[in-house]
Amino acid sequence: MMNALADTWHIVVRGLRSRIRMPVFIFMSLFQPVLWLVLFTQIFKSLGGSMMGGSSYLQFFAPGVVVMTVLFGSAFSGFGLLMMMDMGILSKMLATPVTRVSIILGQVIAAVVVSIIQAAIIFIIAAIMGVDVATGVPGVLLALFIVALLGLAFAAFSNGLALLVKRQETVMATTNLLTMPLMFMSSTMMPGEALPGWLNTVRHFNPVDYAVVGVRGLVLEGYVWSDLWRSLVVLGALAVVAVAFANMMFRRQAE
Amino acid sequence: MSVIETKALTKVFPGDVRAVDGIDFQVNAGEIFAFLGPNGAGKTTTIKMLNTLILPTSGSARVAGFDVVKHPAEVRKRIGYAAQDVGVDEQATGRENLALYGHFYRLDGKTIKARVKELFELVGLNGYEDKMVSAYSGGMRKRLDLAMGMIHQPQVLFLDEPTTGLDPQTRAHLWDYINNLAKTLGVAIFLTTHYMEEADRLADRIAIIDLGKIMTIGTSDELKKSIGGDVVTLTPCVQKDEDCKEFIRRTEAVLSGKPFVASTRPTDGELAVYVKDGGSAIPGIMQLLGSQGIEVKSISMSRPSLDDVFLKYTGRTIRAQEGARTTFAQLQRKASRRQK
Repeated sequence: MMNALADTWHIVVRGLRSRIRMPVFIFMSLFQPVLWLVLFTQIFKSLGGSMMGGSSYLQFFAPGVVVMTVLFGSAFSGFGLLMMMDMGILSKMLATPVTRVSIILGQVIAAVVVSIIQAAIIFIIAAIMGVDVATGVPGVLLALFIVALLGLAFAAFSNGLALLVKRQETVMATTNLLTMPLMFMSSTMMPGEALPGWLNTVRHFNPVDYAVVGVRGLVLEGYVWSDLWRSLVVLGALAVVAVAFANMMFRRQAE
Repeated sequence: MSVIETKALTKVFPGDVRAVDGIDFQVNAGEIFAFLGPNGAGKTTTIKMLNTLILPTSGSARVAGFDVVKHPAEVRKRIGYAAQDVGVDEQATGRENLALYGHFYRLDGKTIKARVKELFELVGLNGYEDKMVSAYSGGMRKRLDLAMGMIHQPQVLFLDEPTTGLDPQTRAHLWDYINNLAKTLGVAIFLTTHYMEEADRLADRIAIIDLGKIMTIGTSDELKKSIGGDVVTLTPCVQKDEDCKEFIRRTEAVLSGKPFVASTRPTDGELAVYVKDGGSAIPGIMQLLGSQGIEVKSISMSRPSLDDVFLKYTGRTIRAQEGARTTFAQLQRKASRRQK
Protein backbone atom coordinates (compact mmCIF):
# COMPACT_ATOMS: atom_id res chain seq x y z
CA MET A 1 0.00 0.00 0.00
CA MET A 2 2.77 2.43 0.94
CA ASN A 3 4.63 1.36 -2.18
CA ALA A 4 1.55 2.03 -4.30
CA LEU A 5 1.19 5.53 -2.85
CA ALA A 6 4.89 6.29 -3.29
CA ASP A 7 4.89 4.99 -6.87
CA THR A 8 1.77 7.00 -7.72
CA TRP A 9 3.38 10.11 -6.25
CA HIS A 10 6.53 9.65 -8.35
CA ILE A 11 4.50 9.10 -11.54
CA VAL A 12 2.42 12.20 -10.80
CA VAL A 13 5.58 14.26 -10.22
CA ARG A 14 6.99 12.93 -13.48
CA GLY A 15 3.81 13.91 -15.34
CA LEU A 16 3.63 17.40 -13.82
CA ARG A 17 7.32 18.02 -14.35
CA SER A 18 7.23 17.19 -18.04
CA ARG A 19 4.19 19.42 -18.57
CA ILE A 20 5.67 22.37 -16.70
CA ARG A 21 8.73 22.11 -18.91
CA MET A 22 6.64 22.64 -22.00
CA PRO A 23 5.50 26.24 -21.50
CA VAL A 24 4.11 26.27 -25.02
CA PHE A 25 1.73 23.49 -24.02
CA ILE A 26 0.50 25.39 -20.96
CA PHE A 27 0.01 28.57 -22.96
CA MET A 28 -1.80 26.80 -25.80
CA SER A 29 -4.15 24.91 -23.52
CA LEU A 30 -5.09 28.13 -21.71
CA PHE A 31 -5.37 30.15 -24.86
CA GLN A 32 -8.46 28.35 -26.09
CA PRO A 33 -10.64 28.80 -22.97
CA VAL A 34 -9.60 32.43 -22.67
CA LEU A 35 -10.58 32.91 -26.30
CA TRP A 36 -14.00 31.41 -25.57
CA LEU A 37 -14.41 33.62 -22.57
CA VAL A 38 -13.65 36.76 -24.54
CA LEU A 39 -15.21 35.86 -27.89
CA PHE A 40 -18.40 34.12 -26.79
CA THR A 41 -19.27 36.76 -24.27
CA GLN A 42 -18.98 39.32 -27.04
CA ILE A 43 -21.04 37.29 -29.51
CA PHE A 44 -23.84 36.62 -27.02
CA LYS A 45 -23.65 39.95 -25.25
CA SER A 46 -27.24 40.81 -26.10
CA LEU A 47 -28.43 37.62 -24.38
CA GLY A 48 -27.88 38.92 -20.88
CA GLY A 49 -30.62 39.97 -18.52
CA SER A 50 -33.82 38.14 -17.81
CA MET A 51 -32.99 35.13 -19.98
CA MET A 52 -29.79 34.48 -18.00
CA GLY A 53 -31.55 34.75 -14.68
CA GLY A 54 -30.71 38.40 -14.34
CA SER A 55 -26.96 38.16 -14.88
CA SER A 56 -24.72 39.16 -17.76
CA TYR A 57 -23.77 36.51 -20.33
CA LEU A 58 -20.17 36.69 -19.09
CA GLN A 59 -21.31 35.89 -15.58
CA PHE A 60 -23.47 33.06 -16.93
CA PHE A 61 -20.89 31.61 -19.32
CA ALA A 62 -17.73 31.78 -17.14
CA PRO A 63 -18.61 28.62 -15.13
CA GLY A 64 -19.15 26.82 -18.45
CA VAL A 65 -15.67 27.81 -19.60
CA VAL A 66 -14.20 26.50 -16.35
CA VAL A 67 -15.90 23.15 -16.96
CA MET A 68 -14.85 23.07 -20.63
CA THR A 69 -11.23 23.74 -19.68
CA VAL A 70 -11.19 20.70 -17.44
CA LEU A 71 -13.18 18.58 -19.89
CA PHE A 72 -10.78 19.16 -22.77
CA GLY A 73 -7.70 19.07 -20.58
CA SER A 74 -8.53 15.66 -19.20
CA ALA A 75 -10.34 14.03 -22.12
CA PHE A 76 -7.20 14.10 -24.26
CA SER A 77 -4.85 12.90 -21.53
CA GLY A 78 -4.80 9.32 -22.84
CA PHE A 79 -2.32 10.50 -25.44
CA GLY A 80 0.36 10.69 -22.77
CA LEU A 81 0.00 7.00 -22.10
CA LEU A 82 0.08 6.18 -25.83
CA MET A 83 3.28 8.17 -26.16
CA MET A 84 4.75 6.21 -23.26
CA MET A 85 3.80 3.00 -25.03
CA ASP A 86 5.20 4.10 -28.39
CA MET A 87 8.47 5.26 -26.89
CA GLY A 88 9.02 2.06 -24.92
CA ILE A 89 8.79 3.88 -21.59
CA LEU A 90 5.82 1.84 -20.43
CA SER A 91 7.29 -1.60 -21.06
CA LYS A 92 10.53 -0.53 -19.42
CA MET A 93 8.55 0.52 -16.34
CA LEU A 94 6.54 -2.69 -16.32
CA ALA A 95 9.73 -4.73 -16.07
CA THR A 96 10.38 -3.08 -12.67
CA PRO A 97 8.57 -3.81 -9.37
CA VAL A 98 6.51 -0.61 -9.79
CA THR A 99 2.94 -1.07 -8.54
CA ARG A 100 0.84 -1.62 -11.65
CA VAL A 101 -2.12 0.52 -10.66
CA SER A 102 0.20 3.43 -9.82
CA ILE A 103 1.15 3.96 -13.44
CA ILE A 104 -2.40 4.52 -14.62
CA LEU A 105 -3.44 6.41 -11.47
CA GLY A 106 -0.37 8.64 -11.65
CA GLN A 107 -1.05 9.49 -15.29
CA VAL A 108 -4.69 10.31 -14.56
CA ILE A 109 -4.00 12.35 -11.44
CA ALA A 110 -1.27 14.39 -13.15
CA ALA A 111 -3.71 15.27 -15.94
CA VAL A 112 -6.39 16.25 -13.43
CA VAL A 113 -4.01 18.38 -11.36
CA VAL A 114 -2.92 20.31 -14.44
CA SER A 115 -6.47 20.95 -15.60
CA ILE A 116 -7.50 22.05 -12.10
CA ILE A 117 -4.67 24.58 -12.09
CA GLN A 118 -5.89 25.77 -15.47
CA ALA A 119 -9.45 26.00 -14.16
CA ALA A 120 -8.21 28.11 -11.25
CA ILE A 121 -6.44 30.42 -13.68
CA ILE A 122 -9.66 30.75 -15.68
CA PHE A 123 -11.48 31.70 -12.48
CA ILE A 124 -8.91 34.41 -11.85
CA ILE A 125 -9.13 35.74 -15.40
CA ALA A 126 -12.92 35.71 -15.17
CA ALA A 127 -12.75 37.64 -11.90
CA ILE A 128 -10.51 40.22 -13.55
CA MET A 129 -13.02 40.51 -16.39
CA GLY A 130 -15.68 41.31 -13.80
CA VAL A 131 -17.24 37.98 -12.87
CA ASP A 132 -18.52 37.99 -9.32
CA VAL A 133 -18.60 34.64 -7.52
CA ALA A 134 -21.56 34.58 -5.11
CA THR A 135 -19.92 32.11 -2.71
CA GLY A 136 -16.45 33.68 -2.76
CA VAL A 137 -13.21 31.77 -2.41
CA PRO A 138 -14.71 28.76 -0.53
CA GLY A 139 -17.21 28.42 -3.36
CA VAL A 140 -14.42 28.49 -5.93
CA LEU A 141 -12.64 25.71 -4.05
CA LEU A 142 -15.81 23.61 -4.01
CA ALA A 143 -16.26 24.36 -7.72
CA LEU A 144 -12.72 23.18 -8.39
CA PHE A 145 -13.49 19.97 -6.49
CA ILE A 146 -16.56 19.37 -8.64
CA VAL A 147 -14.61 19.84 -11.87
CA ALA A 148 -11.82 17.68 -10.43
CA LEU A 149 -14.32 14.80 -10.26
CA LEU A 150 -15.33 15.48 -13.86
CA GLY A 151 -11.66 15.61 -14.84
CA LEU A 152 -10.95 12.36 -13.02
CA ALA A 153 -13.78 10.65 -14.87
CA PHE A 154 -12.74 11.86 -18.31
CA ALA A 155 -8.99 11.44 -17.80
CA ALA A 156 -9.50 7.87 -16.61
CA PHE A 157 -11.88 7.17 -19.49
CA SER A 158 -9.38 8.63 -21.96
CA ASN A 159 -6.53 6.52 -20.59
CA GLY A 160 -8.71 3.40 -20.62
CA LEU A 161 -9.75 4.13 -24.19
CA ALA A 162 -6.12 4.67 -25.23
CA LEU A 163 -5.24 1.27 -23.79
CA LEU A 164 -8.20 -0.31 -25.53
CA VAL A 165 -7.61 0.99 -29.06
CA LYS A 166 -3.87 1.78 -28.85
CA ARG A 167 -3.97 4.18 -31.79
CA GLN A 168 -3.59 7.93 -31.51
CA GLU A 169 -5.84 8.57 -34.50
CA THR A 170 -8.68 6.52 -33.05
CA VAL A 171 -8.40 8.13 -29.64
CA MET A 172 -8.37 11.57 -31.25
CA ALA A 173 -11.44 10.86 -33.37
CA THR A 174 -13.39 9.26 -30.52
CA THR A 175 -12.56 12.05 -28.10
CA ASN A 176 -13.55 14.75 -30.56
CA LEU A 177 -16.73 12.89 -31.36
CA LEU A 178 -17.56 12.74 -27.67
CA THR A 179 -16.48 16.06 -26.15
CA MET A 180 -18.08 18.44 -28.64
CA PRO A 181 -21.65 17.05 -28.39
CA LEU A 182 -21.25 16.72 -24.62
CA MET A 183 -20.47 20.41 -24.47
CA PHE A 184 -23.34 21.50 -26.75
CA MET A 185 -25.89 19.09 -25.31
CA SER A 186 -25.66 20.75 -21.92
CA SER A 187 -26.48 24.06 -20.34
CA THR A 188 -22.91 25.25 -20.88
CA MET A 189 -23.93 27.99 -23.32
CA MET A 190 -27.63 28.37 -22.71
CA PRO A 191 -29.77 27.91 -19.63
CA GLY A 192 -31.66 24.63 -19.69
CA GLU A 193 -35.00 26.39 -19.87
CA ALA A 194 -33.92 28.22 -23.02
CA LEU A 195 -32.96 24.98 -24.76
CA PRO A 196 -35.42 23.05 -26.95
CA GLY A 197 -37.37 20.53 -24.90
CA TRP A 198 -35.52 17.42 -26.13
CA LEU A 199 -32.13 18.96 -25.36
CA ASN A 200 -33.30 19.96 -21.93
CA THR A 201 -34.16 16.29 -21.37
CA VAL A 202 -30.98 14.90 -22.89
CA ARG A 203 -28.75 17.12 -20.77
CA HIS A 204 -29.84 15.28 -17.64
CA PHE A 205 -27.93 12.24 -18.96
CA ASN A 206 -24.84 14.32 -19.62
CA PRO A 207 -22.13 14.39 -16.92
CA VAL A 208 -20.82 17.70 -18.25
CA ASP A 209 -24.16 19.30 -17.44
CA TYR A 210 -23.94 18.18 -13.81
CA ALA A 211 -20.58 19.90 -13.50
CA VAL A 212 -21.88 23.07 -15.18
CA VAL A 213 -25.01 23.22 -13.00
CA GLY A 214 -22.94 22.70 -9.84
CA VAL A 215 -20.32 25.31 -10.64
CA ARG A 216 -22.81 27.81 -12.02
CA GLY A 217 -24.92 27.61 -8.90
CA LEU A 218 -21.89 28.52 -6.79
CA VAL A 219 -21.05 31.46 -9.04
CA LEU A 220 -24.54 32.89 -9.62
CA GLU A 221 -26.65 31.93 -6.63
CA GLY A 222 -24.85 30.50 -3.64
CA TYR A 223 -24.88 27.05 -2.03
CA VAL A 224 -27.83 25.33 -3.67
CA TRP A 225 -27.25 22.05 -1.87
CA SER A 226 -29.83 20.02 -3.75
CA ASP A 227 -27.99 20.75 -7.03
CA LEU A 228 -24.55 20.45 -5.45
CA TRP A 229 -25.19 17.03 -3.96
CA ARG A 230 -26.59 15.76 -7.23
CA SER A 231 -23.46 16.99 -9.06
CA LEU A 232 -21.10 15.51 -6.49
CA VAL A 233 -22.81 12.12 -6.40
CA VAL A 234 -23.20 11.74 -10.17
CA LEU A 235 -19.66 12.89 -10.98
CA GLY A 236 -18.16 10.95 -8.08
CA ALA A 237 -19.84 7.74 -9.22
CA LEU A 238 -18.75 8.34 -12.80
CA ALA A 239 -15.16 8.92 -11.67
CA VAL A 240 -15.15 5.64 -9.76
CA VAL A 241 -16.49 3.73 -12.77
CA ALA A 242 -14.03 5.38 -15.15
CA VAL A 243 -11.02 4.70 -12.91
CA ALA A 244 -12.11 1.08 -12.57
CA PHE A 245 -12.40 0.86 -16.37
CA ALA A 246 -8.94 2.38 -16.87
CA ASN A 247 -7.44 0.04 -14.31
CA MET A 248 -9.10 -2.96 -15.94
CA MET A 249 -7.80 -1.97 -19.36
CA PHE A 250 -4.33 -1.44 -17.93
CA ARG A 251 -4.27 -4.84 -16.28
CA ARG A 252 -5.38 -6.44 -19.52
CA GLN A 253 -2.53 -4.66 -21.30
CA ALA A 254 0.09 -5.40 -18.67
CA GLU A 255 -0.56 -9.13 -18.65
CA MET B 1 25.28 -21.11 -10.85
CA SER B 2 22.82 -20.21 -13.55
CA VAL B 3 20.82 -16.99 -13.39
CA ILE B 4 18.60 -17.90 -16.33
CA GLU B 5 17.32 -21.37 -17.01
CA THR B 6 14.59 -22.29 -19.48
CA LYS B 7 12.85 -25.57 -20.19
CA ALA B 8 10.95 -26.00 -23.45
CA LEU B 9 10.00 -22.33 -23.25
CA THR B 10 7.33 -21.64 -25.86
CA LYS B 11 5.22 -18.69 -26.96
CA VAL B 12 2.44 -19.12 -29.47
CA PHE B 13 0.68 -15.96 -30.61
CA PRO B 14 -2.89 -15.93 -31.93
CA GLY B 15 -3.04 -17.37 -35.42
CA ASP B 16 -0.80 -20.25 -34.34
CA VAL B 17 2.38 -18.22 -34.76
CA ARG B 18 5.05 -20.10 -32.85
CA ALA B 19 7.32 -17.14 -32.09
CA VAL B 20 9.40 -19.15 -29.62
CA ASP B 21 9.30 -22.87 -30.07
CA GLY B 22 10.48 -24.92 -27.11
CA ILE B 23 13.87 -23.45 -26.30
CA ASP B 24 16.25 -24.73 -23.61
CA PHE B 25 19.26 -22.78 -22.46
CA GLN B 26 20.94 -21.45 -19.38
CA VAL B 27 22.98 -18.37 -18.62
CA ASN B 28 25.58 -18.36 -15.86
CA ALA B 29 26.16 -15.62 -13.30
CA GLY B 30 28.33 -12.82 -14.65
CA GLU B 31 28.21 -14.14 -18.19
CA ILE B 32 27.39 -12.19 -21.35
CA PHE B 33 25.07 -14.35 -23.39
CA ALA B 34 23.88 -13.36 -26.86
CA PHE B 35 20.86 -14.44 -28.84
CA LEU B 36 21.90 -14.02 -32.46
CA GLY B 37 19.29 -14.18 -35.16
CA PRO B 38 17.35 -12.23 -37.80
CA ASN B 39 14.19 -10.26 -37.12
CA GLY B 40 11.23 -12.46 -36.35
CA ALA B 41 13.50 -15.18 -34.97
CA GLY B 42 11.85 -14.89 -31.54
CA LYS B 43 14.53 -12.90 -29.76
CA THR B 44 12.36 -10.11 -28.38
CA THR B 45 9.59 -12.55 -27.48
CA THR B 46 12.09 -14.56 -25.46
CA ILE B 47 13.29 -11.47 -23.60
CA LYS B 48 9.72 -10.43 -22.84
CA MET B 49 8.93 -13.82 -21.33
CA LEU B 50 12.09 -13.72 -19.23
CA ASN B 51 11.49 -10.19 -17.94
CA THR B 52 7.81 -10.95 -17.12
CA LEU B 53 6.26 -8.66 -19.75
CA ILE B 54 4.44 -11.55 -21.43
CA LEU B 55 3.45 -15.00 -20.24
CA PRO B 56 4.84 -18.14 -21.88
CA THR B 57 2.34 -20.42 -23.60
CA SER B 58 4.12 -23.47 -22.22
CA GLY B 59 7.41 -24.52 -20.78
CA SER B 60 9.11 -22.74 -17.91
CA ALA B 61 11.81 -20.24 -17.13
CA ARG B 62 13.63 -19.33 -13.94
CA VAL B 63 15.36 -15.97 -13.72
CA ALA B 64 17.56 -15.06 -10.74
CA GLY B 65 16.25 -18.14 -8.97
CA PHE B 66 12.53 -17.45 -9.42
CA ASP B 67 9.93 -18.82 -11.80
CA VAL B 68 8.79 -16.04 -14.16
CA VAL B 69 5.16 -17.16 -14.07
CA LYS B 70 4.79 -17.99 -10.38
CA HIS B 71 6.91 -15.20 -8.88
CA PRO B 72 7.10 -12.34 -11.38
CA ALA B 73 7.44 -9.73 -8.61
CA GLU B 74 10.56 -11.45 -7.26
CA VAL B 75 12.03 -11.66 -10.75
CA ARG B 76 11.41 -7.96 -11.43
CA LYS B 77 13.34 -6.94 -8.32
CA ARG B 78 16.43 -8.72 -9.62
CA ILE B 79 16.53 -7.78 -13.30
CA GLY B 80 17.20 -4.73 -15.42
CA TYR B 81 15.84 -4.15 -18.91
CA ALA B 82 16.71 -1.94 -21.85
CA ALA B 83 14.44 -2.46 -24.83
CA GLN B 84 15.24 -1.70 -28.42
CA ASP B 85 13.32 1.56 -28.11
CA VAL B 86 15.10 3.78 -25.64
CA GLY B 87 12.64 4.13 -22.76
CA VAL B 88 13.91 7.38 -21.32
CA ASP B 89 11.92 10.49 -20.47
CA GLU B 90 13.03 13.38 -22.65
CA GLN B 91 11.41 16.07 -20.53
CA ALA B 92 13.55 15.15 -17.56
CA THR B 93 17.22 15.24 -16.65
CA GLY B 94 19.40 12.15 -16.62
CA ARG B 95 19.38 12.16 -12.85
CA GLU B 96 15.60 12.41 -12.68
CA ASN B 97 15.25 9.48 -15.07
CA LEU B 98 17.58 7.37 -13.00
CA ALA B 99 16.05 8.46 -9.68
CA LEU B 100 12.56 7.48 -10.83
CA TYR B 101 13.78 3.94 -11.38
CA GLY B 102 15.62 4.05 -8.08
CA HIS B 103 12.27 4.75 -6.41
CA PHE B 104 10.60 1.93 -8.31
CA TYR B 105 13.23 -0.43 -6.89
CA ARG B 106 12.60 0.96 -3.38
CA LEU B 107 16.05 2.47 -2.95
CA ASP B 108 16.43 5.34 -0.49
CA GLY B 109 17.52 8.81 -1.51
CA LYS B 110 21.09 8.41 -0.30
CA THR B 111 21.62 5.15 -2.16
CA ILE B 112 20.11 6.63 -5.33
CA LYS B 113 22.48 9.59 -5.15
CA ALA B 114 25.49 7.33 -4.80
CA ARG B 115 24.36 4.99 -7.60
CA VAL B 116 23.71 7.90 -9.96
CA LYS B 117 27.28 9.04 -9.48
CA GLU B 118 28.72 5.56 -9.94
CA LEU B 119 26.60 4.65 -12.97
CA PHE B 120 27.06 7.95 -14.79
CA GLU B 121 30.78 7.41 -14.55
CA LEU B 122 30.52 3.80 -15.71
CA VAL B 123 28.59 4.74 -18.84
CA GLY B 124 30.65 7.87 -19.48
CA LEU B 125 27.90 10.40 -18.85
CA ASN B 126 29.46 12.14 -15.86
CA GLY B 127 28.83 15.87 -16.09
CA TYR B 128 25.49 15.30 -17.83
CA GLU B 129 23.51 14.28 -14.73
CA ASP B 130 21.47 17.46 -14.60
CA LYS B 131 21.17 18.13 -18.33
CA MET B 132 17.83 17.51 -20.02
CA VAL B 133 17.68 14.22 -21.90
CA SER B 134 16.19 16.05 -24.89
CA ALA B 135 19.71 17.47 -25.37
CA TYR B 136 21.36 14.01 -25.26
CA SER B 137 22.54 12.32 -28.46
CA GLY B 138 21.21 8.91 -29.49
CA GLY B 139 24.20 7.11 -28.02
CA MET B 140 23.94 9.04 -24.76
CA ARG B 141 20.27 8.17 -24.42
CA LYS B 142 21.07 4.52 -24.90
CA ARG B 143 23.76 4.66 -22.23
CA LEU B 144 21.32 6.35 -19.84
CA ASP B 145 18.84 3.60 -20.72
CA LEU B 146 21.42 0.98 -19.74
CA ALA B 147 22.20 2.79 -16.49
CA MET B 148 18.47 2.90 -15.61
CA GLY B 149 18.38 -0.88 -15.76
CA MET B 150 21.38 -1.11 -13.43
CA ILE B 151 20.46 1.23 -10.59
CA HIS B 152 19.41 -1.58 -8.24
CA GLN B 153 22.42 -3.79 -8.99
CA PRO B 154 20.41 -6.54 -10.69
CA GLN B 155 21.67 -10.08 -11.24
CA VAL B 156 20.66 -10.03 -14.89
CA LEU B 157 20.48 -7.19 -17.39
CA PHE B 158 18.34 -7.77 -20.49
CA LEU B 159 19.39 -5.82 -23.56
CA ASP B 160 17.16 -6.10 -26.60
CA GLU B 161 19.08 -5.06 -29.71
CA PRO B 162 21.22 -2.60 -27.75
CA THR B 163 22.91 -0.94 -30.71
CA THR B 164 20.30 -1.04 -33.46
CA GLY B 165 19.97 2.34 -35.11
CA LEU B 166 23.30 3.66 -33.84
CA ASP B 167 26.18 4.57 -36.10
CA PRO B 168 29.18 2.19 -36.16
CA GLN B 169 31.38 4.38 -33.99
CA THR B 170 28.76 4.87 -31.31
CA ARG B 171 28.08 1.15 -31.48
CA ALA B 172 31.72 0.27 -30.79
CA HIS B 173 31.73 2.69 -27.84
CA LEU B 174 28.60 1.15 -26.45
CA TRP B 175 30.17 -2.29 -26.59
CA ASP B 176 32.94 -1.02 -24.35
CA TYR B 177 30.42 0.37 -21.88
CA ILE B 178 28.40 -2.85 -21.85
CA ASN B 179 31.55 -4.86 -21.28
CA ASN B 180 32.54 -2.45 -18.55
CA LEU B 181 29.20 -2.81 -16.77
CA ALA B 182 29.35 -6.58 -16.93
CA LYS B 183 32.90 -6.88 -15.71
CA THR B 184 32.83 -4.10 -13.09
CA LEU B 185 29.48 -4.94 -11.55
CA GLY B 186 29.49 -8.69 -12.19
CA VAL B 187 26.04 -8.64 -13.74
CA ALA B 188 24.98 -11.32 -16.20
CA ILE B 189 23.87 -9.84 -19.51
CA PHE B 190 21.38 -11.44 -21.84
CA LEU B 191 21.41 -9.59 -25.12
CA THR B 192 19.77 -10.08 -28.47
CA THR B 193 21.30 -8.90 -31.70
CA HIS B 194 21.31 -9.41 -35.42
CA TYR B 195 24.84 -8.05 -35.71
CA MET B 196 27.44 -10.81 -36.04
CA GLU B 197 30.18 -8.50 -34.91
CA GLU B 198 28.28 -7.53 -31.80
CA ALA B 199 27.81 -11.13 -30.72
CA ASP B 200 31.41 -11.89 -31.62
CA ARG B 201 32.86 -8.95 -29.70
CA LEU B 202 30.67 -8.98 -26.61
CA ALA B 203 29.34 -12.40 -25.84
CA ASP B 204 30.96 -15.14 -23.81
CA ARG B 205 28.50 -17.54 -25.38
CA ILE B 206 26.20 -17.24 -28.34
CA ALA B 207 22.94 -19.00 -29.17
CA ILE B 208 21.92 -18.91 -32.80
CA ILE B 209 18.16 -18.61 -33.02
CA ASP B 210 16.00 -18.85 -36.10
CA LEU B 211 12.24 -19.29 -36.49
CA GLY B 212 11.79 -19.62 -32.74
CA LYS B 213 14.30 -22.42 -32.29
CA ILE B 214 17.84 -22.47 -30.96
CA MET B 215 20.00 -23.98 -33.67
CA THR B 216 23.22 -24.17 -31.67
CA ILE B 217 24.92 -22.72 -28.60
CA GLY B 218 28.60 -22.17 -27.93
CA THR B 219 31.43 -19.70 -27.64
CA SER B 220 32.28 -17.81 -30.78
CA ASP B 221 35.36 -19.99 -31.29
CA GLU B 222 33.48 -23.22 -30.73
CA LEU B 223 30.85 -22.23 -33.25
CA LYS B 224 33.42 -21.28 -35.85
CA LYS B 225 35.36 -24.48 -35.30
CA SER B 226 32.21 -26.50 -35.80
CA ILE B 227 32.37 -25.42 -39.43
CA GLY B 228 35.81 -26.81 -40.13
CA GLY B 229 38.93 -25.10 -41.37
CA ASP B 230 38.33 -22.49 -44.05
CA VAL B 231 35.53 -21.10 -46.15
CA VAL B 232 36.11 -20.80 -49.88
CA THR B 233 33.55 -18.52 -51.49
CA LEU B 234 32.94 -18.95 -55.19
CA THR B 235 31.15 -16.34 -57.25
CA PRO B 236 30.31 -18.01 -60.54
CA CYS B 237 28.24 -15.31 -62.15
CA VAL B 238 27.87 -11.56 -62.35
CA GLN B 239 24.09 -11.28 -62.44
CA LYS B 240 21.94 -12.93 -59.81
CA ASP B 241 19.28 -14.45 -62.04
CA GLU B 242 17.81 -17.89 -62.68
CA ASP B 243 20.76 -18.88 -64.87
CA CYS B 244 23.03 -18.04 -61.99
CA LYS B 245 21.08 -20.26 -59.61
CA GLU B 246 21.32 -23.10 -62.08
CA PHE B 247 25.02 -22.43 -62.40
CA ILE B 248 25.51 -22.55 -58.65
CA ARG B 249 23.54 -25.80 -58.46
CA ARG B 250 25.82 -27.35 -61.07
CA THR B 251 28.92 -26.09 -59.27
CA GLU B 252 27.67 -27.50 -56.01
CA ALA B 253 26.90 -30.86 -57.61
CA VAL B 254 30.42 -31.09 -58.94
CA LEU B 255 32.07 -30.27 -55.61
CA SER B 256 29.92 -31.98 -53.01
CA GLY B 257 31.10 -35.35 -51.85
CA LYS B 258 34.69 -34.74 -52.86
CA PRO B 259 37.19 -35.78 -50.17
CA PHE B 260 38.62 -32.28 -49.54
CA VAL B 261 35.19 -30.65 -49.30
CA ALA B 262 33.51 -30.78 -45.88
CA SER B 263 30.23 -29.24 -47.01
CA THR B 264 28.79 -26.70 -49.39
CA ARG B 265 26.08 -24.12 -49.08
CA PRO B 266 24.61 -21.92 -51.79
CA THR B 267 23.56 -18.36 -51.03
CA ASP B 268 22.35 -15.49 -53.08
CA GLY B 269 24.73 -15.48 -56.06
CA GLU B 270 27.51 -17.28 -54.22
CA LEU B 271 28.54 -20.72 -53.14
CA ALA B 272 30.25 -21.27 -49.82
CA VAL B 273 32.53 -24.31 -49.74
CA TYR B 274 33.72 -25.45 -46.32
CA VAL B 275 37.11 -27.16 -46.48
CA LYS B 276 39.70 -28.36 -44.02
CA ASP B 277 42.54 -26.36 -45.50
CA GLY B 278 41.79 -23.60 -47.98
CA GLY B 279 45.30 -23.22 -49.40
CA SER B 280 45.49 -26.77 -50.66
CA ALA B 281 41.82 -27.07 -51.58
CA ILE B 282 41.63 -24.14 -53.98
CA PRO B 283 43.79 -25.68 -56.74
CA GLY B 284 41.74 -28.86 -56.51
CA ILE B 285 38.49 -26.93 -56.73
CA MET B 286 39.69 -24.93 -59.72
CA GLN B 287 40.87 -28.01 -61.52
CA LEU B 288 37.65 -29.87 -60.87
CA LEU B 289 35.48 -26.99 -62.04
CA GLY B 290 37.72 -26.40 -65.06
CA SER B 291 37.40 -30.01 -66.12
CA GLN B 292 33.59 -29.59 -66.05
CA GLY B 293 33.75 -26.41 -68.06
CA ILE B 294 32.53 -24.25 -65.16
CA GLU B 295 34.03 -20.81 -65.17
CA VAL B 296 34.23 -18.96 -61.88
CA LYS B 297 34.24 -15.16 -61.88
CA SER B 298 35.93 -14.79 -58.51
CA ILE B 299 37.13 -16.91 -55.65
CA SER B 300 38.03 -15.91 -52.11
CA MET B 301 39.07 -17.64 -48.95
CA SER B 302 38.45 -16.70 -45.33
CA ARG B 303 38.42 -18.01 -41.82
CA PRO B 304 34.89 -18.95 -40.83
CA SER B 305 32.86 -16.04 -39.44
CA LEU B 306 29.66 -16.15 -37.45
CA ASP B 307 27.97 -15.44 -40.76
CA ASP B 308 29.19 -18.81 -41.97
CA VAL B 309 28.04 -20.40 -38.74
CA PHE B 310 24.63 -18.85 -39.16
CA LEU B 311 24.52 -19.98 -42.76
CA LYS B 312 25.46 -23.48 -41.82
CA TYR B 313 22.79 -23.85 -39.15
CA THR B 314 19.96 -21.98 -40.81
CA GLY B 315 20.73 -22.15 -44.52
CA ARG B 316 20.39 -18.37 -44.72
CA THR B 317 22.56 -15.33 -44.17
CA ILE B 318 21.64 -12.58 -41.78
CA ARG B 319 21.67 -9.36 -43.68
CA ALA B 320 22.10 -6.09 -41.95
CA GLN B 321 19.28 -4.45 -43.88
CA GLU B 322 16.89 -7.10 -42.60
CA GLY B 323 17.45 -5.66 -39.19
CA ALA B 324 17.16 -2.02 -40.06
CA ARG B 325 13.64 -1.76 -38.77
CA THR B 326 12.58 1.76 -37.97
CA THR B 327 9.50 2.11 -35.83
CA PHE B 328 7.06 4.95 -36.12
CA ALA B 329 8.08 6.17 -32.68
CA GLN B 330 11.73 6.31 -33.71
CA LEU B 331 10.83 8.32 -36.79
CA GLN B 332 8.81 10.72 -34.68
CA ARG B 333 11.66 11.20 -32.29
CA LYS B 334 14.10 11.79 -35.11
CA ALA B 335 11.76 14.41 -36.52
CA SER B 336 11.39 16.14 -33.17
CA ARG B 337 15.14 16.16 -32.67
CA ARG B 338 15.62 17.72 -36.07
CA GLN B 339 13.26 20.52 -35.16
CA LYS B 340 15.49 21.43 -32.26
